[in-house]
Amino acid sequence: MSFFREVDLGGDLGIFAMYREKLGYVPRTIQAQTLMPRLIEAQAKLENAILFEERALRRTLKERIFLVVAASRGDSPGVVAHYKVLRGLGVSEAEINRLLTDYRQASLRPAEISLIEFCLKLSHWGPWVQPSDWTKLREAGFDEDSIHEAVLVTGMVSYLSALAAGLGVAPEFEMQGIPNTKSIPPPPKNPLYSHPIREKVSYLHSVYQSPRTFPPFELIQRTHGYIPNFFRAQTSRADLIGAEAEAIVGILYPEDVLNRKHKEYILLVVSAANLNSYCVAVHCNLLRGMGISPEEGDQIALDYREANLPAADRALIEFCLKIAQRPLEVCRNDVDTMRAHGFSEEQVLECVASTALNNFANTVQLGLGIEPDFEPPRAFEKNKLYLVPGEARPTGERFAASFAAVAAEDPDAGLVRDAQGGNLDAFESLVRNHNRRVYRTLMAILGDVEEAKDALQDVFLSAFKHLAAFQGRSRFSTWLLSIARNTAVQRLRDRKNFESLDEGGDPDEEFRPRQLRAWQDDPEQQYSSSETRQLVEKSIMQLPAKYRVVLMLRDLEQLPTEVVAEDLGMSVPAVKARLLRGRLMLRETLTPHFAASTGKAAL
Amino acid sequence: MISCDEFLAEFGDFLSNRVSPEVREQLNLHLSQCRTCQVLYDSTLKTLKIVTDSRSFDLPSDVSEEIVDRVMAKIRSARAEKA
Repeated sequence: MSFFREVDLGGDLGIFAMYREKLGYVPRTIQAQTLMPRLIEAQAKLENAILFEERALRRTLKERIFLVVAASRGDSPGVVAHYKVLRGLGVSEAEINRLLTDYRQASLRPAEISLIEFCLKLSHWGPWVQPSDWTKLREAGFDEDSIHEAVLVTGMVSYLSALAAGLGVAPEFEMQGIPNTKSIPPPPKNPLYSHPIREKVSYLHSVYQSPRTFPPFELIQRTHGYIPNFFRAQTSRADLIGAEAEAIVGILYPEDVLNRKHKEYILLVVSAANLNSYCVAVHCNLLRGMGISPEEGDQIALDYREANLPAADRALIEFCLKIAQRPLEVCRNDVDTMRAHGFSEEQVLECVASTALNNFANTVQLGLGIEPDFEPPRAFEKNKLYLVPGEARPTGERFAASFAAVAAEDPDAGLVRDAQGGNLDAFESLVRNHNRRVYRTLMAILGDVEEAKDALQDVFLSAFKHLAAFQGRSRFSTWLLSIARNTAVQRLRDRKNFESLDEGGDPDEEFRPRQLRAWQDDPEQQYSSSETRQLVEKSIMQLPAKYRVVLMLRDLEQLPTEVVAEDLGMSVPAVKARLLRGRLMLRETLTPHFAASTGKAAL
Repeated sequence: MISCDEFLAEFGDFLSNRVSPEVREQLNLHLSQCRTCQVLYDSTLKTLKIVTDSRSFDLPSDVSEEIVDRVMAKIRSARAEKA
């Protein structure tokens, strides 16, 4: 029936009943995942919210879209299943056959043909979708909710076709008499669309929803630590966000089978293959929170083959890439290869589901033009939302060139080259240019002037010693600051009362401002600049180290949040959370000195 | 109108001017009607300005020069020994 063992789940699951009611049978893609019921639940919630519920689009139109797009992807199980559904909805065999052989000959209104063509473009040439595609559909009479739903249906085809391939399910019914076509739309004429970074979150109009009163956001805030634009953009459909969030939490978050890092590898590499830099940026960030350096993340996204990964991880990535990119070639052999690398049947199953869900997210993001939450990794093209396509993308030898581009942007590149060539004056210039920033970083972590000065020398001596190993895969300043950070953290560890800088739960999560007196109009006039400086330094030093470091790099060193995250090896949302906390704590400490009702307080 | 807790949840992005228009609209509406959050917003902005202007933890030039000299002296003497 499929590549995977089926398990009798005992009794009749509510989900099975739902499929019987909506489709008339329980699909094989569901039966093939009975080893892991949580995967089934995740999928059922998405299918129900997107395909079965009647919302903006009629069910028969959604089924037509599904059928045509699934056929274009060569997804026979999908075609056969939805052929049956359409028959059940009263659509004639002749009409369905016309949809499959040439949808333009089927009895569709011109507007519906445009919508199907949009979905075909999205499915095959997603990164080329652009605002004018939406404009055309609006002019054809579709409202936003309808276009949104068409995007979701297309996303569901990406999900289910990857799933059918990875699970190795045979079509539910006889294919006899059903036209077996696979007509991929021609490449778009317009060049790959380069999205400007816009103010709007996506092509959709979204409404504000609070993580405190909107349950799906509450769940997402708790699991992600922030609300990605992917969800913010879709606030007009609360039911859908709930299903998406639960699918993500149900498939990606549990660690009982595959660990999070493995799943993040899958999401990163498959998103890169799908040319989706939004998702690449998200997963690079998440991996960073798991201790993978930005360079390693970029490397895996751009060319995992050159990354320093164990053979089993590489096999896992290749298996998932095949499902996403060459689904029709997936065979039992691929599953056996995974098993030979030591993966359990459940783990392989989870690879398939993760790839399918990732395909869905990639398609929806491209279709809705959702703005990135973070800057895409630097090795990608600047200010472009999407990666460069296929063969133009640097792999293997060409890969080095993309890092050369990063190096070319580094203002220190010339001095570094000279210093590496043995020019000590060039190295002296580097020391001179960077010693203030390095000192602040050390001071931020160590909180002690004499120790910071002492460590400053160590950092530059260590940098000199290892200069030959610096390959220009990051900016020189990032590399230098990582040495500074390691040096300082090592010294911190050597102390008796070690104050951790690591990420993790903040016990004082419920921080509430207590000082609520208004400040003076011109607070800086109150003290001389050296007094203010003394006061600020003293107050900053009272902050717990983990907030102090972030605040000093961001607000004193004026580094962008993304760079702070990179330098500290943290995720962007974690940096933002700590920065806000640090700023608010500092405000508390400074209020008695600058509040309107107070005179000059003793320092 | 959104609550103070909700305001606080978006406050970080608001300060960095990184919120979408619909969120900004809600935050501004809240600010226009909540004295407490107005105070919070105003004093946090002032805190940031004071911190940035303070040039705190700036390495004094003489100390900076001294350290550059010491580092380079060590490197040069190590090289001289090698040669």
